[in-house]
Amino acid sequence: MSEKITAFFASRRGIVLAGGVIGVLAPLLQRLGNPPNMGICVACFERDIAGALGLHRAAAVQYIRPEIIGFVLGSLVAALLFREFKARAGSAPIVRFVLGVFAMIGALAFLGCPWRALLRLAGGDLNALLGLAGLATGIAVGVQFLKSGYDLGRSYRTYTAVGWIMPLLMVGLLLLLIFRPQFSPDGPIFFSKSGPGSLHAPLLISLGVGMIIGFLAQRTRFCTMGAMRDVILMGDTHLISGVGALLAMAFVTNLLLGQIRVGFVAQPTAHSSHLWNFLGMMLAGLAFALAGGCPGRQLFLSGEGDGDAAVFVLGMIVGAGFSHNFALAGKPDMVVEGVVKVGGLTTAGMVAVLLGLVTCLAIGFTMRKAE
Amino acid sequence: MAETEYAVVLFYSTQGAIKAERALLRAGFAVKLIPTPRQLSSDCGTALRCAWADAEAVQAALEGAKVEYASIHKVTVNE
Repeated sequence: MSEKITAFFASRRGIVLAGGVIGVLAPLLQRLGNPPNMGICVACFERDIAGALGLHRAAAVQYIRPEIIGFVLGSLVAALLFREFKARAGSAPIVRFVLGVFAMIGALAFLGCPWRALLRLAGGDLNALLGLAGLATGIAVGVQFLKSGYDLGRSYRTYTAVGWIMPLLMVGLLLLLIFRPQFSPDGPIFFSKSGPGSLHAPLLISLGVGMIIGFLAQRTRFCTMGAMRDVILMGDTHLISGVGALLAMAFVTNLLLGQIRVGFVAQPTAHSSHLWNFLGMMLAGLAFALAGGCPGRQLFLSGEGDGDAAVFVLGMIVGAGFSHNFALAGKPDMVVEGVVKVGGLTTAGMVAVLLGLVTCLAIGFTMRKAE
Repeated sequence: MAETEYAVVLFYSTQGAIKAERALLRAGFAVKLIPTPRQLSSDCGTALRCAWADAEAVQAALEGAKVEYASIHKVTVNE
């Protein structure tokens, strides 16, 4: 039985099912309360968690998102059930941390992870096309580094307890979400009263959806970065067929729910500064490629015991703190008295994205093994 | 449909698979990068495929070229 299930999830039908399920559930989460075109966004939701913990003070984006907790715990359950939980670590953790920080800075310049880019497109936000083009470009540059010997070194099996650290951190976050302790009069845990952070589906539904997706993604190895990398590196379309299913099903679901508005300007939690949408996601794509996985995949890996992926996730959460404390994140377009005010990046944000690109290129050029 | 037997070599990273591909092509083996079959591992997404008849020689060549690999598996494909 176990072998049959594994074979199904390994098949094209399995990856299409996983992508399709994400594509249906994300717009439903939006309908149930999550922010517009943000049914699921790993970068935004980790940013909200950073805010809830007080790592940044942007009052509009603070909430402990149960979906992120569910992703890790769902993956953990799948890995334990199918005997794939393997504690491992030791592949250049500090580099992965830095890549996580800049991946988040790039993603928040665009205002979304690859999943949200797809969901934004499926909701009619055409700015996502620039983001996806940037993502593909960043991954293509990363693939060139892979081909020319870039290597962070292998991970090694380690104490089982190491693999449990990330799942236990997620259990801790869940407890903070449920009990909402106040550690000081004006201190965390923070929960947004307005803005995207205040918009959320019911806790148990969000957690359940997160766990279903975590389970499916662990079984199928769903990864948006891996999908583009496999097409560029090997011409293989297995993973990208799952990504295509996500986009198609999200579009159909949005259509049925009346959640589509086509255009560039004043889309929900988005800006139409095209160059920085492109460059932000190019930075994110390059960082994902150098680290070996998109933000979702890093969560799923951390759920099956990968300590290096966990370090990348922590880097992303810290990166969210930098993004909002230093005003590096993209500002959404605004409509003021009927006039559209195009958003985008501050000068500091632009410098941070360029610094991130230079840092990632330096990592790619300098961390190569001679043959 | 004919059954073909392949050897699938797994690595610890995509970079490892690419390095191995280069070394084996240089040594004259017919190899191909493929996504790691999900049944074999949940790890890194890239593996290497060659004819099962070449498995032992490929193993020796990888060891000779000091390219680290995780494991080798026999996979039968209906083509």
